[in-house]
Amino acid sequence: MNLLTFFRGLPQVARQEFLANLKSVRLLIMVAVLALAVVGGAYGLSGGPGGGNLPPLVVWPHPAYETNGSHVASVFVSDPFGSPRADVRVTFSSSFRATGDLGEARTNASGFVRFPMGNRTDVFVAAQTGTVQVGSQIAWFPSLVNFTWTTDQFDFGGDSVRETLAVHVVDRSGAPAAARLSVNGTYVRDVDARGYGRLGLPVGPSNIMIEVAGEAETFTVFVFEDPFGSLFGTPDATLFFLSAVFLYLIVPIFAIVVTFDAVSKERVQGTLDLLLSRPVSRSGVLLGKFLGSFAAVAFPVTLVNLVGLGVITATSGESPSGGFATAFLGFTLLLIAFYVLLQIIFSTLAKTSGTAVLFGVLLWLLFNLLYNVLTLAIGALLGDPAARFQFQLYAGLGNPSAIYQQLVLLYAPLNLTGFLGGTAIGGDVLGAAAAVWLVVLLVLALWVFERKAAA
Amino acid sequence: MIEVQGLVKSYGGRRSVRALDDVSFTVPRGDIFGFLGPNGAGKTTTIRILSTVLDPTAGTIRIDGHDLGDDPLAVKERLGLMPDEVAFYPTLTGEQHLRYYASFHKIPRAEARKRAKESLERFGLGDAGSKKLKAYSHGMKKRLALAQCLLHEPEVIIMDEPANGLDPQGMRYFRDLIRSLNHEGKTIFLSSHLLSEVEQLCKRVGIIDRGRIVAVDSIENLTARLAVGAPAILHVIATELSDAILEAVRAISGVTAVERTEAGATVTASPGTDVGPEVSKSIVLGGGKLREIRTEQRNLEDLFLSLTKGGPA
Repeated sequence: MNLLTFFRGLPQVARQEFLANLKSVRLLIMVAVLALAVVGGAYGLSGGPGGGNLPPLVVWPHPAYETNGSHVASVFVSDPFGSPRADVRVTFSSSFRATGDLGEARTNASGFVRFPMGNRTDVFVAAQTGTVQVGSQIAWFPSLVNFTWTTDQFDFGGDSVRETLAVHVVDRSGAPAAARLSVNGTYVRDVDARGYGRLGLPVGPSNIMIEVAGEAETFTVFVFEDPFGSLFGTPDATLFFLSAVFLYLIVPIFAIVVTFDAVSKERVQGTLDLLLSRPVSRSGVLLGKFLGSFAAVAFPVTLVNLVGLGVITATSGESPSGGFATAFLGFTLLLIAFYVLLQIIFSTLAKTSGTAVLFGVLLWLLFNLLYNVLTLAIGALLGDPAARFQFQLYAGLGNPSAIYQQLVLLYAPLNLTGFLGGTAIGGDVLGAAAAVWLVVLLVLALWVFERKAAA
Repeated sequence: MIEVQGLVKSYGGRRSVRALDDVSFTVPRGDIFGFLGPNGAGKTTTIRILSTVLDPTAGTIRIDGHDLGDDPLAVKERLGLMPDEVAFYPTLTGEQHLRYYASFHKIPRAEARKRAKESLERFGLGDAGSKKLKAYSHGMKKRLALAQCLLHEPEVIIMDEPANGLDPQGMRYFRDLIRSLNHEGKTIFLSSHLLSEVEQLCKRVGIIDRGRIVAVDSIENLTARLAVGAPAILHVIATELSDAILEAVRAISGVTAVERTEAGATVTASPGTDVGPEVSKSIVLGGGKLREIRTEQRNLEDLFLSLTKGGPA
């Protein structure tokens, strides 16, 4: 059989498959899902407004005194912006583990709660709302001034730099104090009626002064360039999360949804006989089905990916490194090819549309859930730690999705892979594994189609 | 034109079932060949193999001199298939179908477009050509099946139950079409279980039963063969047939039995004898009023039933 004969019918079938899929509703739905994940992810992860990781609840505990000198815990509960949280359960404990052994109370409408402590010199305080619990410790020790303060640093900008200092000041009795806040000798603002005030600080050290009724305390606060600040929020990191988290899961579904009935539908609706009676070769028809389905997935996915890259560049002001972006685009095509081929094989084997759908669902579950469970189980069965290590190192090569993930990692900038663990398998091994997968799937698809197409 | 030799198709592994067992027949160029058999006898399997959809387990097939195993593409180029179940892509229009199918044959694009239009017109689908197939009725699909079958001007046309599901007008249309295609010199392989249709169209038939060919010959020869050794039967339509007349008939040399019927009588005679003239003479001379004497013809149905043991396998 010469090459022309081998490919006979390929362009016609590919074109037909491509056009039919491009006009299908399911493709539109998948494009919408993918665009939501990629474009939304690109926007959210590259630190557009709304990013940042803020605690839902902040506890401001203070050591305070009754007029008779006995100790009282004065606790203010708010959100990071200083808005009081009323009716929050606050527990008082003698140790970190002894939850609420000293008693509990609820915050009032202003977000405050007072709890008598007698002559105890320390207490653990925890505030709970919903499933969130935030705790801190109060200690009573002699003070030079008639007020106490606590601080917290937040990343309001969503850039992983905690440049906002929030301060809460109460007087000796535990009531909100009228405090003046200065930074590096310059007055900035007073705290609000509940004792809460917020200061924006530059990166590096800042001297903070709190003045209450003529008394002052000064301390130094450091705003660190977050150690991972160069990691999260960078275009490369965003791209990595897009590929490793979103595309990794959605692209296989996309490929399966488009391909699941590529062959079975022709058989079920009865059009396969007329097609095969044409001057075509089986290999030509199968390869045409593959290339048509592949193009119908690859075309919109690449388009959405390019838009995602554009959004990353627009929101973060710089584009991901060229090599990484190219690898991301290219390996996504490889991932599509894997799953289109896999599903074409199953589609050829499926006798009904129902079976074809089932095969598709199973295929996705296999490589995105079951495979990891299986390798974990096998790893556990391998008693020898060295054998287990070797097995788990290379286990991913049996999973096309894992190969994709590791290939993308391989091309990610070093500072990123250094943090994320990277991949210990070299590019040559990964590349060879990918090539073997492609060739084996292609040959298998041709063989199955040759035998089962019109059985 | 179509030469099939020792065709075998078996399914399954070790305990395989033979759907076709040593099937051989030849269809000369320009012939309309009727392919008959009960349901499940292997008609559609044979057709799917002939149209290169299914691979045979053994045997050789030559179409227009080209071996199907060695050069399937040459065979496919010369072949037009009209499948039993007309199935098309629901979201494509009639014209898109024809152009898609034409694209596989080496027909230039402009020519394909022209032929598609003409062929839609020819089969009364001129207005429906731009409609999607899901809007087509069964009859329209049948006509589109014909259009795609003839689009590339094949030498050999294979039709599987073409009259299935058609109304009487449709069936007549099909018959006329097949005849005219035959006049154009096309070789037609017609599978059907409608015996009357085959009888009207075909000179030669092949009969398949349980995967085996039980007869291949002209209808005349086959019925003649059937007639050999079988008693001749005469249906007499007459009134005032007295007992004396029946006695006289019974006495005619060669007559073995006479039976009175509502319309007159049935006369059975020894094989190979022609007792008609003697019988009519006896009736007329005896005073009976003779209307008609008809010698019973063996037809395709008798042949079919006798060869296929009267029922599905």
